[in-house]
Amino acid sequence: MAIFNLPFWTYVGVIAGIYTIFALGLYVQDALTGLPNFGHVAFMALAAYGMAILIIRLNVPLPIAATGGVLAAVGFGLLLGIPSLRLRADYLAIVTVAGSEMVRYLALNLQDLTGGALGSIGMLGPSNLAQYNTDWDNFLSPITATLTRLLGSGIANRDFTMLLIVWLLTLVLMLLLWVMVRSPWGRVLRSIRENEAAAEAVGKNVFGYKLQVLVLGAILGAIAGLLLAWEIGVFSPDDYQPTVTFYAYLILILGGTTRLWAVPVGAVLFGILYSGTRFLNFFPLSLIDSGDRAYLRLLIVGFLLIVLMAVRPQGLLGNRKELLIQ
Amino acid sequence: MFDQFVQLLVNGLITGSILALTGVGATLVFGIQRIANFAHGDYMTVGAYVAFVVNVAFHQNLIVAAFCGMVAVAVFAVIAHYSLFRPLRGRGFVAISIISFGLSLLIRNLIFLFGGSAVRQYAVSQSAVYVIGFVRLSPGQAVAIAVALVVAPLTAWFLARTRVGKRMRAVADNRDLAAVAGIDIERIAVYVWIFAGALAGLGGVMLGLEQGTFDPNLGVDPLFLIFTTVVLGGIGSAYGALFAGFALGLAMELSTWQALAGGLGSQYKPVLAFVVLIVILLYRPQGLFGRARVL
Amino acid sequence: MTTDHILQVRGVSKSFDGIRAVNEASFEVERGSITGLIGPNGAGKTTMFNLVSGFLRPNRGTILFDGQRIDGRAGHVIARAGLVRTFQIPRVLTRLTVLENMMLAAKHQPGETFGAALLMPGRVAKRERQVREQAIRLLELIRLTRLANDYAGTLSGGQRKLLEFGRALMTEPRMVLLDEPMAGVNPALALQLLEHILELRASEGTTFCVIEHDMEAVMAISDRIVVMDEGTVIAVGLPEEIQKNERVIDAYLGRSGEEPEPGSRLQVES
Repeated sequence: MAIFNLPFWTYVGVIAGIYTIFALGLYVQDALTGLPNFGHVAFMALAAYGMAILIIRLNVPLPIAATGGVLAAVGFGLLLGIPSLRLRADYLAIVTVAGSEMVRYLALNLQDLTGGALGSIGMLGPSNLAQYNTDWDNFLSPITATLTRLLGSGIANRDFTMLLIVWLLTLVLMLLLWVMVRSPWGRVLRSIRENEAAAEAVGKNVFGYKLQVLVLGAILGAIAGLLLAWEIGVFSPDDYQPTVTFYAYLILILGGTTRLWAVPVGAVLFGILYSGTRFLNFFPLSLIDSGDRAYLRLLIVGFLLIVLMAVRPQGLLGNRKELLIQ
Repeated sequence: MFDQFVQLLVNGLITGSILALTGVGATLVFGIQRIANFAHGDYMTVGAYVAFVVNVAFHQNLIVAAFCGMVAVAVFAVIAHYSLFRPLRGRGFVAISIISFGLSLLIRNLIFLFGGSAVRQYAVSQSAVYVIGFVRLSPGQAVAIAVALVVAPLTAWFLARTRVGKRMRAVADNRDLAAVAGIDIERIAVYVWIFAGALAGLGGVMLGLEQGTFDPNLGVDPLFLIFTTVVLGGIGSAYGALFAGFALGLAMELSTWQALAGGLGSQYKPVLAFVVLIVILLYRPQGLFGRARVL
Repeated sequence: MTTDHILQVRGVSKSFDGIRAVNEASFEVERGSITGLIGPNGAGKTTMFNLVSGFLRPNRGTILFDGQRIDGRAGHVIARAGLVRTFQIPRVLTRLTVLENMMLAAKHQPGETFGAALLMPGRVAKRERQVREQAIRLLELIRLTRLANDYAGTLSGGQRKLLEFGRALMTEPRMVLLDEPMAGVNPALALQLLEHILELRASEGTTFCVIEHDMEAVMAISDRIVVMDEGTVIAVGLPEEIQKNERVIDAYLGRSGEEPEPGSRLQVES
């Protein structure tokens, strides 16, 4: 495939936008408030499964099903979060990843509810192909049609519509977050990150703020999960392994953990890196057949996680000064 | 009823011994280095694959193969320690965890790329069954038990009686006190990685034997069970991990016993472990035998 | 007794793992007074501060602030009620600027509510301006103005102590618990600090309770001294009385080593 294939890069752009929202959820929790969440992918999973189950099994209309998905993610976050928030960072990290693995494991094994290993298409049993995306597709098609008339089918397609919607949403969310992060509310969160006891000692309800951040992170993760499910049209438990949470961490590290506006940069870089492996057609990488490209990709992710954390933990755009003060 | 119980008991002892032996090494590492090594499961995979190559490609018997696996992982663990974990120790727990996760991806996908995704098995019959009273065992499982019966007491003796073993326990229990007592913490840290690496490698071989077949994802599921064993026993408590490993293995297997209100469906065994892990972290983070640290 | 006591500690006990760090301790602090809290290392003074400020929950006993029970209440609730504490080892917010450290502590910040910056930006901005002015004024008082835009993590130990002090004052407290405010601070600054304490007491009527090991300073500034040893209050009185009190002298000098053996007492690092 030629490298300047617009539909391909449009798709990459959609994924980058979705992962920006996902990484923003992690930014708010860890980069801003100092709450590691190695189980962040659980919010994606619960939102997607919640929405799909409501649509496929209960015929709930899309907007309500989407809300239900977000509520499922928030509910789980509170269930695990409320007792865990008082834990030290290292214990919190392990509890959260155990939580997300438990969610994935249950999704894999509660076959009647979740479709088991088949995922969303298996929700109505092995012989029926279950589909949750019809309403969303119906929502997109008139928009796609209009755009095709305006811009021609060389540019406009379903993914292009998704691109516009996702990035518009991303922009709005980032603006909202930006205002909030710069406000006194953001200052309290940063103080919790630096020294909880000091924040408590000057009258800030640390536990309450942590809960707010958890809920916000859950909502952002859930929105990302819904958008991803709508973009791809199908999902399974394999899509929600801890690796996905670490994609978000990689995005934060790539862009830089000290600036909100670095998150989309990290996500786009990640998207390019991840999808760009298919263009590595030169020796010796051309020896790797395309089926194995997935392994190469993950290898690169693992390698980058190590190298970046070791060599440039403040990310490409981050403020080294801030990081040096530890 | 009773025959199922005995079968489950034996299964539990096999699983338990894998968890206990790998867990002992893991808890010492976690306790001394204060890290969570997300690559520990993949250390097991490396051991399993090296042993596989020695056993199947070089036609050596399982004991030689297992030994080679243990050595390979021990060496690898030491290299990882010197190149990654030691220099980057000051970055903090979250950073090291991310790095160890990156390492895990690196190892697993290198094995996929160079070892292939094909399912592997040792030069052991997959279809034969040994029947001993109520218990049915595959040859692989039988070997695993035999290994456990030899290695577990050896490990316990090593920890209790040898100088190195005692020092490892001392450092894991109270690093500052051990340093004051004149123990070279850095040296012990390396020994601990050798110890943990070797046992992880052995655990990988035993797991491969117990399962019958394996692929590069061998270490993915056990990782959480190892974490659970470590936390349940108390991070840094070697005997705690030995106990917790067996306890967890037995609990998981016996929970499927039909006499217990039909028993837990066997696919939910890991969920039991997750629940145990979460509950322990929330309500007794020092585990069964760990020290309660004030913050 | 018609003395107005702003703080009343009654029969408070706290144990860790079976070791009694504080053992049936009782004392009172008069409103507008400067009370020194002294005692050998390991006496339980910082633990007492932790108990009074809500960072620890007493196993037994009651604590009253301005007549209201505060034992067992959360730290932030007590701070909002007007009882603020500093830490023995300063807890500065390293990656926030000195100015931000100060501004954090101000009371009544509508901007700290979730979403407030979006829904009432004008009000939030206005209060921020006021808070900034208040912070700058206080920074001038403690002579840290030129460091206002530096990251607090770059401050020296003594400067951090001052910042802790300034941050406590930002909350407009009615009572301040100072845990070794002068440790590591150069003598000139320490003197300044003492002057600030006296001045605040005179102008605002702020009550102070000070843990200090610098005996000269404590005796000079305190109206009253409370002496703790091995978790209990062994003496209360005027500085002159305490200096002559046999039990107190005994507590400090009676043991061959003033430091307790490691592990004989648990001291919670705040």
